[in-house]
Amino acid sequence: MIRLPRWQAIRLPLALVVAAVVAAGAGSLWSAARMRAASDELARQKQALAQARQRLAQADRERRLLAAHLPAYRALVARGVIGAENRLAWIEAVQQANREARLYGVDYSIEPRQPAPAALAGNIPLKQSVMKLKMPLLVETDLPRFLDALKARAPGLFSVRSCRMARTPNAPFAAVNQPRLEADCELLWFTVAKDTGTTR
Amino acid sequence: MKAHHRLVLLDASGAGVLDWRPGRLHWLGKFPADAAGVAEFGRTLARHPGLPVLVVLDSVDEDYRLEVLPHVTGAARDEMLARKLRQVFRNAPLAGACRQGREADGRRDDRYLFAAVSEGEWLAPWLAAIDAAGAPLMGITLMAMACQALIDRLRLPDAHSLLACRLDGNLRLSYFHHGQLRFSRLITGDATNQSAAFAADEIFKTQLYLTGQRILPREARLTVLLYDAGSGTLPAAQTALNADPAFNARALDVARVARALRVPEEFLVNVPALAPLAALAGAPVLLDLAPPALTQAYVDHRWRRAIGLAALGIFAGGLALTAGQWLAAQTRLDEARRLDAERQHVAARQQALDRNNPALPLDAAELVATIERVRRIAARPTAPVGALAALGRVLERYPDVELDTLAWHDPGPTAPATAWRVELQAGIANFDGNYHAAARRIERLLHELGALPAVSDVALTKRPVEADSRTLLAGTTLAGAAPPAARFAIGFAYREAAQ
Repeated sequence: MIRLPRWQAIRLPLALVVAAVVAAGAGSLWSAARMRAASDELARQKQALAQARQRLAQADRERRLLAAHLPAYRALVARGVIGAENRLAWIEAVQQANREARLYGVDYSIEPRQPAPAALAGNIPLKQSVMKLKMPLLVETDLPRFLDALKARAPGLFSVRSCRMARTPNAPFAAVNQPRLEADCELLWFTVAKDTGTTR
Repeated sequence: MKAHHRLVLLDASGAGVLDWRPGRLHWLGKFPADAAGVAEFGRTLARHPGLPVLVVLDSVDEDYRLEVLPHVTGAARDEMLARKLRQVFRNAPLAGACRQGREADGRRDDRYLFAAVSEGEWLAPWLAAIDAAGAPLMGITLMAMACQALIDRLRLPDAHSLLACRLDGNLRLSYFHHGQLRFSRLITGDATNQSAAFAADEIFKTQLYLTGQRILPREARLTVLLYDAGSGTLPAAQTALNADPAFNARALDVARVARALRVPEEFLVNVPALAPLAALAGAPVLLDLAPPALTQAYVDHRWRRAIGLAALGIFAGGLALTAGQWLAAQTRLDEARRLDAERQHVAARQQALDRNNPALPLDAAELVATIERVRRIAARPTAPVGALAALGRVLERYPDVELDTLAWHDPGPTAPATAWRVELQAGIANFDGNYHAAARRIERLLHELGALPAVSDVALTKRPVEADSRTLLAGTTLAGAAPPAARFAIGFAYREAAQ
């Protein structure tokens, strides 16, 4: 049979047990909190290192891409595709193409620059400006000749959105080599430019 | 019971104190049974207050009874033993029982050895001194139980053995059956009874008593073990004993006992009573004669010790857990610092790369995408030349169809194979008012256009005349009126890449 002690005999040992439990619990909680904090710090550093490595890999990819495409980039800058619009050069090119095609002059207008449609621009800052042309033609083939001449000397990048050729309404009978056709075209001039300065 | 404690051998002449701890014995001396001796005894114990004390009695007033009782456990056994002790030893101040196994057959009852000390007055000063010294009393046992412990340590295999010990001039005879005490008696010594012949005579008497009491079977041959570490005269009794075939007497060599107890031989020679005490030290108290009130302090002591050890264990466990977690945290922090240094190194390399890259308004991905878009836009033809040529070839077969307008629309260079949309407005020259003929002509034109490989979605978007019931139809056939016109419009899709 287990014999029990007198209460006063075990008060101090019991107090020691309580103190030990408190001390052990406090120490364990403190060290557990410290370990959690250390684990969080370690996880944070791992993530930061992974991100730094990704940035390094990205920088290395960019370095190689830039090295590979730098000539093309410079050509685009020289051509006026990247940077500010050069509308005067466009107009001069239109006039010169008109002369080369031996046409009879051209009416033009350029609308304010707008962002290109997202389907075309993707994630690059592509802008477009609509140029409307109106010119008399002698024969139908004058228009392709004009557009080809413009494309050959265009100081920039453009595409033809639409063209319409029509007989000049109520045109009086005239001598040969007088234009009896009229063309209306819409051209899109493209430039790549960020709205706010440079990226780096 | 392996903790440090003391054994106090009490007999009529005084008290001897043995200090025991695992691996170490220290004989503190013998104190005479007078006032000065008791006082010195108390002072000796008081030097280490709180050290438990086991009292071993070596008294002529011992009484032994063997009992067979039903096998019960727990509180029922305690009550049964207490009742039996009161019944057997009515007025004995010290009494106790020791369970010695079970019967082999029948109900398999328990065998008990009951023991008591009938006279306890002489113990009072010693017990008072122990109590005054603050030494918890572990219990009070008998020298015969110490002899049982000695038999056990010596690993003697005899079924019936009688241990004859001469300790401090007294002769103790203890009978053991398979190593368990059945009977013991003390013959106090004086100058006339120290001879071997006297000892042999006492052994013969004891054998007769045991046989008469049926404690020892009549036919059993009794092994007599003669141990005398002091005077050394006892072993001479074996000659007389062995003359009787009922005995097998042999002397216990002091050296053998010393080896079994792992104590120096001279230690046993100087203190003859030490052998059974040393055998008992550290072993459980199998037979305790002390009433519970005397050992309550020891109960308290054991609880204090156990609870203290539990507190120490909890503290040590907490400390170990704390240290382990702290070390783990430090390891993680060290790893985090190493990763941080590596991250800084990687960041420096990345910044160096960024510095060496040319400063462009576009990043690399935008540049690649820009180049790809520019190539796609530049590759787009300015006019659907193929569509115009095909249309011209078809219209050559329709000289009566005069074009008014020709338009095309490029949906955009989002994809290389996007179809152009071409629309033309025309009229039938020299129309004579036969709308059926004009419709058949236009239908044929539509059919030929639709047969072209790159053309699709050919549709007549405007008819020469709308005959639909839901629309207004008006005209004139008056003489002199202008001839009606047969104007129509056609649209179709032309896919440049399909050519």
